Amino acid sequence: MTNRIDIEPMAGRWLKTNDKPQWIGSADVKVDGDRLMVRLHGGGLGPTPRDWGTVPTEAVYASRIDTSDAHAGAFVCKYAFDDFDVEVQANLNLGLLVIATYVTFRKPGPHANRFTREFFRRDA
Amino acid sequence: MTALDVSSLTGDWRNTNENGRIKRIVCTSGSSGSSASLGSSAATSANPPRNPEEPEEPRGTIQVTCPEFGTVDAPVFAFEFDAKQAGAFYALYDRGNQELRLQANVKLGVLVVVTLFRFPDTGSGRSNYFNREFFYRIAP
Repeated sequence: MTNRIDIEPMAGRWLKTNDKPQWIGSADVKVDGDRLMVRLHGGGLGPTPRDWGTVPTEAVYASRIDTSDAHAGAFVCKYAFDDFDVEVQANLNLGLLVIATYVTFRKPGPHANRFTREFFRRDA
Repeated sequence: MTALDVSSLTGDWRNTNENGRIKRIVCTSGSSGSSASLGSSAATSANPPRNPEEPEEPRGTIQVTCPEFGTVDAPVFAFEFDAKQAGAFYALYDRGNQELRLQANVKLGVLVVVTLFRFPDTGSGRSNYFNREFFYRIAP
């Protein structure tokens, strides 16, 4: 069967490294069997929700095809809000959690669909 | 919001690593009207086929071709909410036994490409895996 990914290194509380407001402020990631449960909190920039809520990962990824190690792995999860959808892709890189989001608005409006990439350190 | 300017994304991009999993990515402006115009790629929830009766996504898509995986329409994204220029795209290839999420953004003239391979089949022993590679543009 498909290898179980050792997702534990991605779990924890992650805080933004940037002092200024940004799209995501923090992330709480917990292990739930073979998947992760992700709760994001807004960082005060733009239409970011204060509390994004908790969603399960859609997929988790190892560092390579031939390993279950996820110290350089990644996960993907999705959020659906009233006005926009967000696909979240996060990966570990040298101890940082790098979170990218793809924000897609459902209706024409003043905002462009947006890509973000932000960095998070593990809460000590 | 009108369609984003995709000129920073379009072109013929080559992997800086000759041993990379994906050798070449070609991005062209416009939409095929389907997320899976070539090859065995299938429409997915991330980029489903567009209803021709509906107006094209006003914020824009490009066509992304990887010789190994085919051509799909990919939504484009800006770096700011009020920007006019696209700087990123997201393509999804679903071949049944292999799914590829291909996420890319331009940084300092380099296309930074994240690939996320997933193998829904059982028995292969392969792990889903994440990779990041860099591409340079040889022609706009």
